[in-house]
Amino acid sequence: MDNNWELVMGLEVHAQLKTESKLFSSSPNQFGSDPNSNVNFIDAGMPGMLPVMNFGCIEKAIKTGFALNFQINPYSVFERKNYFYADLPQGYQISQFEFPILSEGHIEIENDNVLKKIRIERAHLEQDAGKSIHDIDPKYSFIDLNRVGTPLLEIVSYPDFNSADEVINYISSLRQILMYIDVCDGNMQEGSLRVDVNLSVKKPNEELGTRCEIKNMNSFKFIRQAIDYESKRQIEVLESGGKIEQNTLLFDTSTGETRPMRSKEFAHDYRYFPDPDLLPVHLTEEQIEKVRPTIGELPQQKLNKYINDFKLEKDVAKIIISEKSYAYFFENLISSKSIKPKLAASWLVGDIFSFIKEKNLQIKDIDNSSNKIIQLLEMIESGTISSKVAKDILVEVLQNNKEPSQLVKELGLEQVSDNDELEKIVDDALKDEEDNIMKFQSGSDRVLGYFVGKCLKATKGKGNPKVINELLLKKLNK
Amino acid sequence: MSDINIKKVSYLAKLALNDDKAALYEKSLSEIIEWVDNLKKIDTEGVKPLHNITEKNQNMRNDEVLKKNSTEEILSNAPEKAQNFFRVPKVVE
Repeated sequence: MDNNWELVMGLEVHAQLKTESKLFSSSPNQFGSDPNSNVNFIDAGMPGMLPVMNFGCIEKAIKTGFALNFQINPYSVFERKNYFYADLPQGYQISQFEFPILSEGHIEIENDNVLKKIRIERAHLEQDAGKSIHDIDPKYSFIDLNRVGTPLLEIVSYPDFNSADEVINYISSLRQILMYIDVCDGNMQEGSLRVDVNLSVKKPNEELGTRCEIKNMNSFKFIRQAIDYESKRQIEVLESGGKIEQNTLLFDTSTGETRPMRSKEFAHDYRYFPDPDLLPVHLTEEQIEKVRPTIGELPQQKLNKYINDFKLEKDVAKIIISEKSYAYFFENLISSKSIKPKLAASWLVGDIFSFIKEKNLQIKDIDNSSNKIIQLLEMIESGTISSKVAKDILVEVLQNNKEPSQLVKELGLEQVSDNDELEKIVDDALKDEEDNIMKFQSGSDRVLGYFVGKCLKATKGKGNPKVINELLLKKLNK
Repeated sequence: MSDINIKKVSYLAKLALNDDKAALYEKSLSEIIEWVDNLKKIDTEGVKPLHNITEKNQNMRNDEVLKKNSTEEILSNAPEKAQNFFRVPKVVE
């Protein structure tokens, strides 16, 4: 197989909107309930039931419009997409077709430190279908309608992707943005974000090849595997003189292969037409602009602020903005004016994250310790305790939710900053060290570290390193 | 006569038609389409499509949970059910 093939991919991302109720009915939009317990007659497609639009979904769509640089259309139309499937009781999905609510957006993704603009053709509102369970019984499928009518925003990109890395970066940026603006909970495992990948391969400077669509993936790992497998498959077909048949594929997670979906063997004809039960949506400038201030800070804006104003290292800033919950935890820590952002950041991505990871927790699980962590960081900033001591206290705080000031007192860990006391220790440390003192005076800086360590050891880690440092320099430079 | 592919139409509508019925429906559907095709004679140059006859705005509700029906009600018309699921002939993917 030669390497001279180019991948071309476009994505359809289905984001479930984080609302209380469904798109066209007032039943709960909730994951994980008992089967068929969040359903009303509208969702179940009972005759004579009429859909009523949820304005909350329109607001979330508008929010997304601002965040992804879309044109927000003042006029959009709901249409029926007709097909039969057991988990679609209406016999059609209400979606938008010719007149979507959002068109022509874009975001920038970063790939190996190079920015790339990904153009997004459109985003439209539609209903999710129910859930079918195929694997409990050899003869039957089981249908749960709880998901029917859950609001989805389908975000359709242009075919601007040329590698699996770009695809992954785009989806994670998109997910991050949607979570920041509180439009989607981003929980991929629960299917809140599902991705279809349209993929074709071609030689450089040739026309686009025939594409296949890999449907309905909800993990980064599987998306990458599916892209790798499908691109290899297409290249092999073409290199052996074959032709790609346009097809809808499923990625089989157990075999790591793609295969055609049986239910899509016949080309569908969805016969879209405007849903006579729903009137077109007219949005006024005022309605649209009212949503703008609710977006809050986007991850990219936070990143810039962290790097430029807070002077954090880019890598550290990126880790913190990677999840909304991290960023908000961090900003809560530095709400204390005496804590420097750099200190808070290094404790967060360092000891706090390792604790969480080790205990298999999430940041929200330690949320109620945040005031105590602030207290602890303040004690470090004021020199009351050393970083070394703080590490031990942090674990106590996180594990047993103890008061740091109490712990410091109880354990007698208060940092020694007293000049006279430390001077004695420094003098002791310099005793019988003529050789090393000579070394320092002839320019070896490393010796200073040795002395600081020696003094710290003598204070059992409680000595203030800054004061020790100053005292040592004073004495050594005599 | 308009071109009606009755096989495709009945497939999409999930209707099983025998040959006699297929011929009958093919004929009557073609007539309906011919009749509706008369509309094409009207000059609509420069006229925007109308998506709903009333041209009113969509009524909307606030995002609140108001009404759900009980699982018993939802399943009451199901020909087959099991453990609060609808049970249907196997749909294979």
